[in-house]
Amino acid sequence: MKTYTFHVSGTHCASCKILIEDILNEQIGIQNTHVDLKNEIVSVETELDNSKHELAELLTEKIKHNGYTLSVEKITKEDKNNGVIWQAIPIGLAFLVLFFILQKSGILNLGIGGTATPATSFIIGLIASVSSCLAIVGGLVLSLSATVSQDNISDKKNFLLFHIGRLVSFAILGGVLGLIGNAIGISFTFTAILGITASAVMILLGLNLVGIFAKNKIALSPAIFNFFRKIEHKTLTPLIIGFGTFFLPCGFTQSMQVAALSSGSFMSGLLIMSAFALGTLPMLALLSFGSMSFAHSKHAPLFFKSAGIVVIGLGLFALLAGLAGLGIINPLFSI
Amino acid sequence: MNKTASIILTIALVIGLGIIFVGSSKSNDNKNAVLSQGIQNSVIKDGVQYITINAKSGYFPKVSTAQAGIPTKLIVKTDGTYDCSASLAIHSIRYQKILPQTGETEIDIGPQKVGETLQGVCGMGMFSFQIKFS
Repeated sequence: MKTYTFHVSGTHCASCKILIEDILNEQIGIQNTHVDLKNEIVSVETELDNSKHELAELLTEKIKHNGYTLSVEKITKEDKNNGVIWQAIPIGLAFLVLFFILQKSGILNLGIGGTATPATSFIIGLIASVSSCLAIVGGLVLSLSATVSQDNISDKKNFLLFHIGRLVSFAILGGVLGLIGNAIGISFTFTAILGITASAVMILLGLNLVGIFAKNKIALSPAIFNFFRKIEHKTLTPLIIGFGTFFLPCGFTQSMQVAALSSGSFMSGLLIMSAFALGTLPMLALLSFGSMSFAHSKHAPLFFKSAGIVVIGLGLFALLAGLAGLGIINPLFSI
Repeated sequence: MNKTASIILTIALVIGLGIIFVGSSKSNDNKNAVLSQGIQNSVIKDGVQYITINAKSGYFPKVSTAQAGIPTKLIVKTDGTYDCSASLAIHSIRYQKILPQTGETEIDIGPQKVGETLQGVCGMGMFSFQIKFS
């Protein structure tokens, strides 16, 4: 039994520790894997007779598809990473500029008059999905998708569950609104606080994606790691987040909720809200599945950093707007 | 991409964002100045002042002036409004409502003091309007 230590690269997240330890411990002849995230070191005990270099290659093979590499020598990738961030900042900013120009242009101010039918709801959904609502709903989807893809935990399943959760909860809640009629109103303050929470989450995830926290990754206790891993693996989590998007502040969503309220029956409320959610689906699906395919391509580091910049920008916008909406600060801008 | 080029590009894009956020309100103000001179958005009928605000993709006019010290009502007009401006909040009078998609909503704001500014924002906070009382 010999103990080897290797340098590891690609450990961007807290749960990486557990993932690497699990995968390596499953290998025949490998035991007691220990990952030290702070120093980016992996130590293993092994009965195998391979040389240290061979072992590094062998084990890298097992964790390579998750984005990790073991090496005998410490890889200095500092320069490469710095290069990526310099590309990512203009790319991210360019997307933000395009997004806000689109909002200013007035292209989205299509006049849709009359009563809300499922057909008009669908069109309103299409418009909403590229409107300023994208700042909060889309930004949240992008940040969560990129983060989940980065952690590489069955992302496809999670995204599907998110979209299913969103569609189903819009349909059911729309139906309920139609059924109970004007009995309840969805609280302004509640949605505003939810929106501010969502923008705070976006900013945090964005900073994480850009890699601000990479240098000072805190070694949390295994209990907390396990808790987060459990959440990430839970089938319910993406469903609940999908459900939560119903209450996120978005003028279009709120208008449709009012339309569903006044529609007068369970079926018509259900049809209006699900048509609206279907309309927003193409853009949101593009964001989540797009980030998944980018995350698995060779441009992954650039994508994560650019996405981080975009998400931070949208998060700040949503946060300032949300505070203004609550009357805490004066509106700083007007789109 | 080389670092210098990227820094220059970044600065250019930041300026671009600045123009979108700050420059925009200036052009709106100009437009509103024209609007408030050309179109009177407040009328006094039977001793009550009615101020009309159009809500669609923002509030228009964005800045308007009205008379202080008399009973005042706000009329917010929506016309196929599905965006944020349909969810209106006026914090100084604790008013919050999601307006009907098309129609007129009357809000009683009572008499206002001289020099006071009434500010309305949409639920998400990116649209706002001001009424200055003098």
